Amino acid sequence: MPTSSSGRRIGVRVLRLKLRRDMRRQRSQFLAIGVTIFLGVVLFGASYDAYRNLDASYQRAFTEYRFANLTITGGDTGTIAAKARVADGVEAVEARTQADLPFQTGDTKLLGRVVGLPVAGQPAVNRVDVEAGDYLSPGRPDGVLVEQHTAEHFDLSPGDSLTVLDQSGAPHRVTSVGTAASVEYFWPARSRQQVITSPDDFGVLFAPEETARELAGVGGPNQVVVYYDGGRENAALTERLTRDAGRAGAADVMTRARQPSNSALQEDVSGFEELAIMFPLLFLTAAALATAVLMRRLVDAQRPTIGMLRAAGFSRGQLLRHYLGFGLVAGGLGGLVGGVVGLLLAGQVTDVYTGELSIPVTVTELRPATLVTGIAFGIVTGLIAAGLPAWGASKVPPAEAMRSFGPASGGSISLFERILPPLKRLPARWRMTLRSFGRNRRRTFSTALGVVLALVLILVSWGMVDTVQTLVNQQFDEIERQDAELYYQAAIGPADLDAVRGTDGVARAEPALNAEVTLSAGGRRYQTSLVGLRRDTQMHEFLLAGGGTTTLPAQGLLTGEALDSELGVSVGDTVRVTAPGAGSGREETVRDFVSEPLGTLAYTALDNAAPFAPAAGAEGNANSALVRFEPGADRDEMRRRLSSLPGVAAYEDSQAIKTAVDQYLGLFYAFVGVMLVFGGAMAFALIFNSMSSSISERRVEMATLRASGAPAPMLARLVRAENLINVAIGIVPGLIVGYAAAAGFMASFGSDQFNFDLQMRGSTLVLSAVAIVIVALISQIPGLRALRRINVATIIRERSG
Amino acid sequence: MVDMVPRMVGNDAERLAIRTRGLTKTYGEGAAEVRAVRGVDLEIEAGSFVVMLGPSGSGKTTLLNLIAGIEPPSAGEIRVDGVDLAGLDEEQRTRFRRNSVGLIFQFFNLIPTLTGSENVELIAELTGGGERASEMVGRVGLAERGDHFPAQLSGGEQQRIAVARALAGAPHLLLGDEPTGALDLDTGRKVLALLREVAVERDQTVVLVTHNAVIARMADRVLGMRDGRIVSDELNPEPVDADQLEW
Repeated sequence: MPTSSSGRRIGVRVLRLKLRRDMRRQRSQFLAIGVTIFLGVVLFGASYDAYRNLDASYQRAFTEYRFANLTITGGDTGTIAAKARVADGVEAVEARTQADLPFQTGDTKLLGRVVGLPVAGQPAVNRVDVEAGDYLSPGRPDGVLVEQHTAEHFDLSPGDSLTVLDQSGAPHRVTSVGTAASVEYFWPARSRQQVITSPDDFGVLFAPEETARELAGVGGPNQVVVYYDGGRENAALTERLTRDAGRAGAADVMTRARQPSNSALQEDVSGFEELAIMFPLLFLTAAALATAVLMRRLVDAQRPTIGMLRAAGFSRGQLLRHYLGFGLVAGGLGGLVGGVVGLLLAGQVTDVYTGELSIPVTVTELRPATLVTGIAFGIVTGLIAAGLPAWGASKVPPAEAMRSFGPASGGSISLFERILPPLKRLPARWRMTLRSFGRNRRRTFSTALGVVLALVLILVSWGMVDTVQTLVNQQFDEIERQDAELYYQAAIGPADLDAVRGTDGVARAEPALNAEVTLSAGGRRYQTSLVGLRRDTQMHEFLLAGGGTTTLPAQGLLTGEALDSELGVSVGDTVRVTAPGAGSGREETVRDFVSEPLGTLAYTALDNAAPFAPAAGAEGNANSALVRFEPGADRDEMRRRLSSLPGVAAYEDSQAIKTAVDQYLGLFYAFVGVMLVFGGAMAFALIFNSMSSSISERRVEMATLRASGAPAPMLARLVRAENLINVAIGIVPGLIVGYAAAAGFMASFGSDQFNFDLQMRGSTLVLSAVAIVIVALISQIPGLRALRRINVATIIRERSG
Repeated sequence: MVDMVPRMVGNDAERLAIRTRGLTKTYGEGAAEVRAVRGVDLEIEAGSFVVMLGPSGSGKTTLLNLIAGIEPPSAGEIRVDGVDLAGLDEEQRTRFRRNSVGLIFQFFNLIPTLTGSENVELIAELTGGGERASEMVGRVGLAERGDHFPAQLSGGEQQRIAVARALAGAPHLLLGDEPTGALDLDTGRKVLALLREVAVERDQTVVLVTHNAVIARMADRVLGMRDGRIVSDELNPEPVDADQLEW
């Protein structure tokens, strides 16, 4: 090329023209790459910004509703509140009453919670958002605000009545004055042990503080909630207030991070954050592979042209930049369009999410940094992918590139034939197919890796649904074997159990004791529920963390395995068990860890649990009855019959929670559906490009076979088989890597609230593999069409010089 | 399957391998129209060895493709091996090529992932004559080298394999497009000698397209092409052996 500046300009212009025309010629392949980059950047923009929006929505809600940084339960609340008020860094303190009391709406008796609020106005901490009706007023001591999930489920409007059973079991009629959303119950968790609840079993009422005290049977507040300056976390302040609370006899001190609703939602948000990075990376990797395959093919096909350009004086740098231009254009366009669409989608995703969880504050911000990052991701992906082929192009010696045609590479017996020698007796056309599979190792690797990436995307998404469904079934079918649990206001006696057993449809009933306790060891405390059961109970299966099952020991505890990390105890260690009204408590030995998906509870023999019971009674101080129905019993009818038995304060249907979980999973199903489509699109783009390159690389061979009388359908079958072998090679590692990624992802949710070890159904693996094969078959259609249209004469003429 | 293809009957079918009348092939339309073959009338007897000569762009490869049934004509008649090619659709022409034509290309066009023998076997299988493959490889003198892949064979060996491949379907007609174009003199001679031998042995009609006038000396008949037309048609009363050729 001339070295003058005008010559250089002309050269650059010509190369640009060539770039445009090359891209136009291979527009389908470039479109596939652009779309994959677009999807990756869209996914990044939409999910990352949605995650940021969601986090911002929560943070703003925390500030707006002054979500407590610390919640202290029990002890001398007056002293605790007084000390907190004067502590540096504390903005507001509220002392209130909170009590778990059953209430009834219609025929449904459920485990309720009453939370006291000041009637003069919103509390200084943990304000509520009144969505319908009015806030509490001094003139309405019986007026309550119904928490939004409860109000929605039971269709409760201002003016509707409910009956709350007070501490002594006496009924009190209250009236809804409004519906409220509370930052403490965005996710309606009852406790860290009962994160997943059914609105049929758990509901919250906000009552005037005086009314709450009256219902709880306490003379003063039993809980202190503290809001730090600006709502900002302050570890030193938390430590100090926790120490003060301990001295004042507090039973439990809970930080904002461990608050059950917030903790559950934060798990969700952090999972969202992981996906917002992981999934786009999968797409961009796939796009990079597809780009590299296409570029490699382009450079190989253009070797004579490159040689001519080099011979004409174009520098290596110019050719390098020219071929990098393909990656730059595909990446830049995919990144730009993806970034903008992602930005727009982020707001929609945030709205759907906050709407589904009924979060009253939705923050939707436009973040230019995300847009720029998305575009940069696209460009960098394109440049990296085009880099190696472009570098290869720039190094082509002119003489070599301009040499005549010849076989591109040497052949060899395929691995399949070496492993399985009888394959050597296959017809020659099938041997050709087997050997074509490993002919271009980069392309084979790229296709297989694309399949692996697509399967990772699909299995991580599907694994979440499988795990939640399987473990919820395990929790409520295999571990908790009762159909329902009846909660009594007082300790139950033989007559209560007889009445249950005598009810039509009841197959079996057992007493159980539920007590709120604090376990402590080595200076660490953990608040949980102690469950007392008969040693020969048939209502609970104790699955050991190490595998196998066990029965309740006469002495000591079985606890959830998360106690290990919560208290740093091992099997054989002792923990101190304390409960309100049970004095200084008692030392108990941890006999074994049980593996349970939901919550970290402590189990012991009924007699052993008796000292911790809230009330004394004849049946080992039991305060609930576990009931199993006869086969075919009508569950609604059983709820009605058993709820109406004397003394029954609340009724919990174990299947109702499963139903609730199914409802929560609605969003998951939509998410998995979207991921399946995205994964399919990604696999499509890769296989399509790989196949196009494969056909393009062998067009002369195909034309020769067609000229020799090979029918097009036969060639299509061979090419299809070759691609399917390639895809099948990717499926096995894809299933393994996808499974491992899903397991790693689910493990990140592990806490004392959830123990979601990956549970993946065999059918999920099979269906995912089948989905990939279907996508592979579909993605071959354009290539096979091109094969059918192959112009034998033109190709032969080209080869004839 | 080939029975569906209409055949010539009577003396014509016995005597003529190829017969064209007003054979025309055009590409493109309007101002971009290119007439590659212009009204060619041609008759080639069965068993003859014909060389078509002409410069680049003269239409010889297009005419060869029309004879092979690779392309349909735009106008005119063409009967090859008794078959009216102008009346065949793509599928029928494919069947025709499979059963009646053996093709040899300048750059051999072997499948690089199949050994020499397997390349022959691949085509032999198409006509249900897989067992003929080793015979053909032996016939071209590569019985010892047949299990080598194309990249392990010399250019001449590759072209001999290509000849064996062309013979694998037991065609009546062998068509070669610059079959020695990528070979050195000595190797080219050997390939041409081989072609001549097998054609005589099997009573096959051979049509070679080339721009190398020297090759014409071994032909029974030499056709000259220019601008899509046959401009000369000469019989060679004394064809020489391939080893007497020099270029």
